[in-house]
Amino acid sequence: MRQLPSGVFASSYRQDAALVRTRKQWLALGILLFALALVPLLLGARYANIGSNMFILAVAVTGLQLTLGYAGQVNLAQAAFMGVGAFTAASIAGHWNLSFILTIPAAGIAAALFGLLFGLAAVRIKGFYMALTTITAQFVFHFAVINLPASWFGAANGLKVPPAHLFGQTFKDDVGLYCLNGVVAAVMIALALGIARSRFGRAFVAVRDDDVAAGMMGINVVQTKALAFMVGTFYAGVGGALWAYYIRFVGAEQFTLFNSIWMIAMLIVGGMGSVVGGLFGVVVIVGLQELVTSLGPQLAELAPDLGGQIVFASMNVLLGLLIALFLILEPKGLMHRWQLIKFSLRIWPFPH
Amino acid sequence: MADLLNQLANGTLLGLLYALIALGFAVVYRASKVFNMAQGEFVVLGGFIVWWLAADLELPLLAAVPLALIGAGIVGLAIERIFFARMVGESSFSMVMVTIALLILIRGVILVVWGPEIRPFPIVFPLQPLVMGDVLVPRSLVYGGAISIVTCLGLSWFFSRTRLGLALTAVSQDHQVALSLGISVRRAMIFAWVLGSIISAVGAIIYLSGKSLNFLASDIGFAALPVALLAGLESVAGLLIGGVLVGIAQALAQHYLDPAIGANVASLVPSLFILLVLFIRPTGLFGWKTIERV
Repeated sequence: MRQLPSGVFASSYRQDAALVRTRKQWLALGILLFALALVPLLLGARYANIGSNMFILAVAVTGLQLTLGYAGQVNLAQAAFMGVGAFTAASIAGHWNLSFILTIPAAGIAAALFGLLFGLAAVRIKGFYMALTTITAQFVFHFAVINLPASWFGAANGLKVPPAHLFGQTFKDDVGLYCLNGVVAAVMIALALGIARSRFGRAFVAVRDDDVAAGMMGINVVQTKALAFMVGTFYAGVGGALWAYYIRFVGAEQFTLFNSIWMIAMLIVGGMGSVVGGLFGVVVIVGLQELVTSLGPQLAELAPDLGGQIVFASMNVLLGLLIALFLILEPKGLMHRWQLIKFSLRIWPFPH
Repeated sequence: MADLLNQLANGTLLGLLYALIALGFAVVYRASKVFNMAQGEFVVLGGFIVWWLAADLELPLLAAVPLALIGAGIVGLAIERIFFARMVGESSFSMVMVTIALLILIRGVILVVWGPEIRPFPIVFPLQPLVMGDVLVPRSLVYGGAISIVTCLGLSWFFSRTRLGLALTAVSQDHQVALSLGISVRRAMIFAWVLGSIISAVGAIIYLSGKSLNFLASDIGFAALPVALLAGLESVAGLLIGGVLVGIAQALAQHYLDPAIGANVASLVPSLFILLVLFIRPTGLFGWKTIERV
């Protein structure tokens, strides 16, 4: 659990149970939120868009963190579940002109139901076999979108999405979308921190560490695994709905296995088993992706016969190296490294 | 009737090719307990090495093919030394993720080195199809089928009857126990990756002979995945039966179901096979019954 330095203790149950426990943590949170609010004002539309992208991915990766990091259930198709949410939101927003306050939860629920199908598989099989089962979710999703009637999900052409609106107010410029994505992401992350500390989050961790022992202690293992899948895919659906409103167009080719692997890479780089760690991973990896994209012209000069393909090729190399190197050299991720740095600063100048 | 016979014959031979590719999965799994998701990428890499030696450097095929197999073996050795030698005893999730990372990394490296263009692959087997009565089959697949039957049966004998093969089998059950019994886990893993890489290169030659090659050819890896699962990951000879079943199912779906429904159902057949196997019999037809259930 979260470690506070010695000497910091709670003097009431209320304080002990609080999510943010010390004044300094409140201060840090306040500075962070203030800085995030300043981004679109000071840095302009391009950074607001990168921020939106990070917020959307933060929601989906937080869901994956709950399924994979906390409950230990491998899900290699988070992007497909995101796609289910995106298509649901796009379809009902287009047909009935509903506000996002209704479409986003509906997208989450649709994705969670699709996720439950595969969560039930997790009840029967474990580990590597489970990973394979979720990969098939990717193929099923793609096949379903392309072959269902075009009036539902637009088939191969994709769907246009009307702008997000609430009480007559629409969100379609960069700053408006940045705020919408930021607020939804903040709510979902706060919720995830709550889930992780709750009875369910503790059950997730128990099942991850040893499901037989967890069952012995009275945890309903079947229910917990199915729940972990439903919660994680609910997050994916919400992320997908945000994505639909952000891009204003959804197509099956936006949600590939490759995207799912990127999300797992964010988890591995950030650190498994910590909501904040996943967010670290999102920021670091999206930052690196933007770096590679903006270096594209220089890279193209290095390998002239590849042309525009160089960005795709170097993204592949980057992703492959990141996952492999982190798994070999720092399997606990950046979050662990950060904790070590904090700890050594606290006891400085003593080495241990 | 001739139509059906043709479909059956072609499906069987395609299935035997799948079995050879799936043998790459099985060999690595049987000797190191790693499931290599990058199998398709190994096939493409083997294909590119053959192409580079035979078409780019214009070596005669008789020299290029053995050299390419040696090259593939060296690639397998390098990958084992760099990545998997450090992963002994890690969780199956980490192992699978490293192989997925490898999949993406090899694809990126192939793109950087050879680019995305489509290239004609050298003609290793004669192009004219083999005609037997009404049945018409590609010659490369006939030779390939023979190669995969011989290799599967040979390796099956090796893994279950020889001392070295049994030692490798022990490693695939439990790294720690195998080590404590005096079996070198390191050597087993090197052997697995070198052999798996060479088999992938052989598969690439049969699959690509006379066709075109670019990085997308790696899809064959995902087509071969259900074969490995259906046979059971540990079974080598069972791959032949699994391959034939999947190949025939796919050929029949392509020929009879696709025109009837109008959608590309055949592309979904491998995934359906995976789901069915995982739900009904996760050990596959001939695998060991060690799947943990809760």
